Amino acid sequence: MNTKIIYKSWSVLDQYRTLLATLMLVMALQLSYGQGTRTVSGIVYDSDNQPLVGATIIQQGTTNGTTADFDGNFTLGIPETSVVLEISFIGFKTASVTVGENNSETIEVTLEPDMLSLEAVELVAVGYGTMRKSDLTGSISTVAAEDLAKGTLSSTEQVLQGKVAGLTVVQGTGDPSSGASLRLRGGTSLTASNNPLIVVDGIPGVDINQVQPGDIASVDILKDASATAIYGSRGANGVIIITTKSQSAGFSVSYSGLSGVSFASNHLDMLSANQWRRYVRDNGVQGAIDYGAFTDWQEELERLAFRKSHTISLSASGEQSGLRSSIHYMENEGLVKTTSLERLSANINVHQFALDKMLRFDIGLFATIDKWHPLDYRIFERAFNLNPTIPIYDQNGAFTEVAGTLYENPLEILAHRTTDDKRNRLLGYFKTEMDFTRDLKGVVNLSMENNQRTGNTYKPSTAVLEGRTEGGYGQKVYEEYTNLQIEAYLTYTKELGNHRMNLMGGYSFLENTYEGFGAQRSGFETDLFGYNNLGAGQDYRLGDVYSYKGKSNLVSFYARANYSYDNRYMVTATVREDGSSRFGEDNKWGFFPSASLAWNLSNENFMDGTKNWLNQLKLRVGYGVTGNQDGIGEYKSLSILGVGQDSYYDPATDSWKQAYAPTQNPNPDLKWESTEQLNVGIDFGLFSRISGSIEWYQKTTKDLLYTYQVPQPPYLVGTMLANVGELSNTGIELTLNANVLSTDRFSWDANLTLASNEQKIEKLSNQVYETDVIYSGSLHGLSGMSNQFSQIVKEGYPVGTFWGYESSGLDENGAFILSEEKTDIGNIQPDLTLGFGMNFTYDNFDFSFSTYGMFGQKVLNATNMMLYDPNRLPAYNVPDDFLSSGITSDPTFSSYWVEDASFLRLQNLSFGYTIPMDKVFSNFRVYLMGENLMTFTSYDGVDPEVDISGLANPGIDRFNNYPRPTTISFGLDITLKN
Amino acid sequence: MLFIELNSSKMKLKYLTILLSGIASICLVSSCTDLEEELYDKVKDDDFGTTPKEVEALVGGAYSSLRGFSDEISNSFPTAEYVFFLNEVASDEATIPTRGQDWYDGGRYQDTQRHQWDSENGMILSAWRYCYTGISKVNAIIYQIDQSGLEQADKDPIYAELRAIRAYYYYMLLDMFGNVPIVTDFEDQELPANSSRSEVFDFVESELLDVLPNLRSEIIYSKFTKNVAYTLLARLYLNAEVFVGTARWEDCLSMCQQVSGYSLNPDYFANFVTENQNSNEIIFAIPYDSDAGTLGNYLHSMTFHYLHNLTVSVTGNYPWCGNGICAQPGVYSKFLDTDKRKASMLEGEQINLATGSVIIMDSGEPLIYTEEIIDFTNAKQNEGVRLNKYEVKEGEKWERDHDLVVMRYAEILMMQAECHVRLGSAELARPFIDQITQRAGTETPQTIDLDYLSDELLREFIFEGRRRTDNIRFGTFFEPWWEKGVTPKTHGIFPIPKSELDKNKNLEQNPGYPQ
Repeated sequence: MNTKIIYKSWSVLDQYRTLLATLMLVMALQLSYGQGTRTVSGIVYDSDNQPLVGATIIQQGTTNGTTADFDGNFTLGIPETSVVLEISFIGFKTASVTVGENNSETIEVTLEPDMLSLEAVELVAVGYGTMRKSDLTGSISTVAAEDLAKGTLSSTEQVLQGKVAGLTVVQGTGDPSSGASLRLRGGTSLTASNNPLIVVDGIPGVDINQVQPGDIASVDILKDASATAIYGSRGANGVIIITTKSQSAGFSVSYSGLSGVSFASNHLDMLSANQWRRYVRDNGVQGAIDYGAFTDWQEELERLAFRKSHTISLSASGEQSGLRSSIHYMENEGLVKTTSLERLSANINVHQFALDKMLRFDIGLFATIDKWHPLDYRIFERAFNLNPTIPIYDQNGAFTEVAGTLYENPLEILAHRTTDDKRNRLLGYFKTEMDFTRDLKGVVNLSMENNQRTGNTYKPSTAVLEGRTEGGYGQKVYEEYTNLQIEAYLTYTKELGNHRMNLMGGYSFLENTYEGFGAQRSGFETDLFGYNNLGAGQDYRLGDVYSYKGKSNLVSFYARANYSYDNRYMVTATVREDGSSRFGEDNKWGFFPSASLAWNLSNENFMDGTKNWLNQLKLRVGYGVTGNQDGIGEYKSLSILGVGQDSYYDPATDSWKQAYAPTQNPNPDLKWESTEQLNVGIDFGLFSRISGSIEWYQKTTKDLLYTYQVPQPPYLVGTMLANVGELSNTGIELTLNANVLSTDRFSWDANLTLASNEQKIEKLSNQVYETDVIYSGSLHGLSGMSNQFSQIVKEGYPVGTFWGYESSGLDENGAFILSEEKTDIGNIQPDLTLGFGMNFTYDNFDFSFSTYGMFGQKVLNATNMMLYDPNRLPAYNVPDDFLSSGITSDPTFSSYWVEDASFLRLQNLSFGYTIPMDKVFSNFRVYLMGENLMTFTSYDGVDPEVDISGLANPGIDRFNNYPRPTTISFGLDITLKN
Repeated sequence: MLFIELNSSKMKLKYLTILLSGIASICLVSSCTDLEEELYDKVKDDDFGTTPKEVEALVGGAYSSLRGFSDEISNSFPTAEYVFFLNEVASDEATIPTRGQDWYDGGRYQDTQRHQWDSENGMILSAWRYCYTGISKVNAIIYQIDQSGLEQADKDPIYAELRAIRAYYYYMLLDMFGNVPIVTDFEDQELPANSSRSEVFDFVESELLDVLPNLRSEIIYSKFTKNVAYTLLARLYLNAEVFVGTARWEDCLSMCQQVSGYSLNPDYFANFVTENQNSNEIIFAIPYDSDAGTLGNYLHSMTFHYLHNLTVSVTGNYPWCGNGICAQPGVYSKFLDTDKRKASMLEGEQINLATGSVIIMDSGEPLIYTEEIIDFTNAKQNEGVRLNKYEVKEGEKWERDHDLVVMRYAEILMMQAECHVRLGSAELARPFIDQITQRAGTETPQTIDLDYLSDELLREFIFEGRRRTDNIRFGTFFEPWWEKGVTPKTHGIFPIPKSELDKNKNLEQNPGYPQ
């Protein structure tokens, strides 16, 4: 629960007539006149006789009121006449006290807890403020810190894996330096980004890895358009609002440590050296060369990988100020030698009140340094290719080299190249909150995010790939981006009897600047410098040095009104107007409205009869329009000249000069992709033990941006970015939380998320651009498959539809039996995604597990497609199963290799014990945890969880077989409080 | 008194509010809604082309377009891959056999080999886009020059050069596709319709004749000069009978006679060495320089066996090779052993320089390039003799440095010889042929007839990407050879790519191809 208590005094308010020059005209402001001629004072307690800090005291029927101070005391100016005071506090039943005409005694009030409303006052971040959960009209899921995924996580996305219905988190590889991809309710775009907008502590558009999992207090996921429309052009893919931990009262310091070991959960079963020899002997294979060794190339690439992380956090808070700070160090070794991710991050946030707590300042800073060693992924294909009898080292101790295509020693590739990458992330903000009146608040948030990456590569002149032909090759690249943002908004909250109203309006400005440069050189006389002295390289080619820079602006105006009556009827409306520099002259501005309604049936009188089992029942319906402009790049509407590979020879000077040429078809009509979404939801609570929600949505993205092929002439180049198509997603989501059993010593909780989404391309053409089909899922680079595609983007099909021959197995000669025509042979979209977990506690013991799964999605097992090739033996290795497969045909793309990749993964299992040391530590818990312990799947490849993002090759398992780790770790959490 | 005593929180708040409102209103009326795009590493077209240097950089772009490009739609390089492959595989001198699974690539080479291409063949699209991307670019540059502040007198030679380059592209379209749309105005956004093949012919002819006076007369390597225009006109007239049904042999002869200042290089292969810009035989070439970042020039990596690098360098220091295009069976034996030009092909055992013994392929067999290709749909790795015309050097980069020879003086000699034979005076052809055969180390036969000329053209210009045009002119194109039967007359031009027809409803498919 996320209950916010605000300490402040309004007693001076009555003395002044407040004139407010408002930033926004959307808000009509009620002025408050003080008319007090006498003062009444009192004290508010809860049922435990503790002072109730922050309780609201209001003169009935007026706006005259105050709040209780730190000791529960209040004073209020009231008229001479007899008045009724209403004393209320979230989570308590409201009490009324009549103050007689001449009564001047100190009033003592005790508020009784209101169990029902205690649930209802959970606050949920909705973007530019919070809202009572009970007032919500849109589709928003909330995950509290304790429910986030745990473990030796390398990227923050992973905390949400399996936790939110409709949010797919795919970790495509076991490489610790690669992130996961996020998709909410299917993708909405072919060209622009499909990543949800990440908002960290109110700052939109932040890299999710700015925040470390340990610093997260809660995550709110805005799913439908009525919830995300307040982010307008940035909200089409959903919004993930991360609230970091704030200062807790008093002082505390805590430590969390985790240390573990990882090993590969699965391998591809290739022939061992002895199996290979037996095959050669038994079949009398000619020309087979036995090199005499026993090498398992896959295992040789790997190691037992150690992982560790330490986090120390400190929190201190007084009446006027507070501070929270944490420092985090992590080192995750990769299973493949040389790979790892090392992270050092620090976070500090401070707040300070001023002017009788009417002014609050917040300063926050997040800094992260990541270091890793990018891997040459070609090693996996080599590991499958190499004959298992080849020794790793030859007699001289050097790496064995056997000539052949794609036949380089993968251990040599690993050993003889240096790759050092580093990323620095910085996020800082300065936020001012000002309470103009009790109801009207202004917020100005200035923020800066800066993300820098440095990449260094050196391939010595001895390296088989590139190094030798280049005579040593060194490269340094640097890239960075900076987002500067101003967010300024006003909120106005009013509660009058049964009416509750919340208005918000604001302005934001975003400036994104990106720039970078790089240099590469080859022809080094010595390899001693590595990448540190590129000047020593003697070969210089045009294009070896480059730099770039670009900038874009986004300007927004937005407003939201939320009204609820008697906790029964709620309505929310939002508008946002966004202007983006990226679009054409006439289409720079986009308008994104939304409206939603909710009806809390359980608060209706006629539902009284079912209250004993149906604790909550709320119906919601919302509609809205959101946009997308991310990932399409700048300057696409302009006619521009660029330099590139456009050099020309000048015979007069016998030299090469740079040519300038038009580079693109400008599209001055370029505009926003807009996504319309209708959402219907039901929230329910049963038997005071089960709560959950069901959502149905339909969303349609119009003016889909895509780089269309255009006729040449009249167009300058063959492609042009244009708004043409239409894409729809329809789905159902179910979230269930259950408190199965709860006794003094034992508790048992369970949670389940289920989601199903159906995607369809509705349109790819309009009057100007006609596209029948776009080919995607490239197989280029696989032997014999140059410029071949495995997927289509076509009207009536989802993105990532495999299009090929239907195979009905093998004929008696071992040839594939294929259909005459190519057809739809499955798609990469899962029919169902699932997350399921349980938590148990028994006295000081705790036990929990969590699983996630995806069902119905197809994966092209291109690894097997190429390995089950009768031409491979004896020189190239094959999987064990190839020998019994009977396949005699050359590799052919067909449904034979398109597999059902449904899976269910036991991702986390932990067992903990809290050592009772209350005298010293408020918490002292030790635990054992296992990650990725079991995967249930019928998929034949190394791992069924294959990246499905992008258009290039989603859902294709193609020698990117970085093994997925299974990790066993030991952890310790200690908290010291005073 | 002006001094305001901020003695209460409320007062402070009030003034703070006013201050903030002021800042906010300044913000709202000024730059905070500015959505103009600021450019840093690029330049708007209106801002460029005002100085002579900038104009030079623009015109340079027209020349660089001749190297082709590779984008997400097609690989359109004239040096290797699909523009080159299309014309070579459709002719009787080259083939790209499927070896196991390798080089199957959807059957595009097999279909082309059999002359059974359809409008979805990716190589045909590559060739179309090579030409039209170049044309669009030249049109855009002409538009830029229009806008520049140059004097008309300064503009004229620039226009001449640009229009001549454009005519060269249209000549290729005329040869490959026949009935193609003619677009010359960059600002014209209408979807163009086909012109007939004879209209395209007339356009190429009139453009070249029109710009000739403004082209430069001197020999300037790699630039479109008068000599280049004469050569292109000669080519146009040589093939006029194919293009428009009317022979123009005399016109061809007269254009050849205008070409001056060139001579045969005594060393045939001097035209194909890395530093081939020094050969006085070359009339027009497209320059390449790996260090200058030029792309597409990797033909040798498309022909040699995967392990061929071991034959070039003791340490194997030669780029990766993909074991693709090779000579059709029967071509190698068309060369006498004394013919120096026979070295344009590589045949026989390939020696590993490190061990001194024959390279062993992963099948366990020795790597011996053979003329024979038993089954071109499932060829062995070593079958087919390899293209070996341009220089091969240890330590070369993937992008080779030699310039692509487009026109050389030998062609002027051969064209004249052919015209004389066609005009019935075979003996007038002999002095021209003699120059060619003498250099090659062969002899001119007693009878110079069309069959001989066809073979001699094969020998002289093998793997220079022009054999298909010669096959068509000599009619052999339509007769059965090796793996193909009779070719319908309509296949003398390629179909217009389906994707282009889909995008432009005003385009009509060439006759003989399904609409």
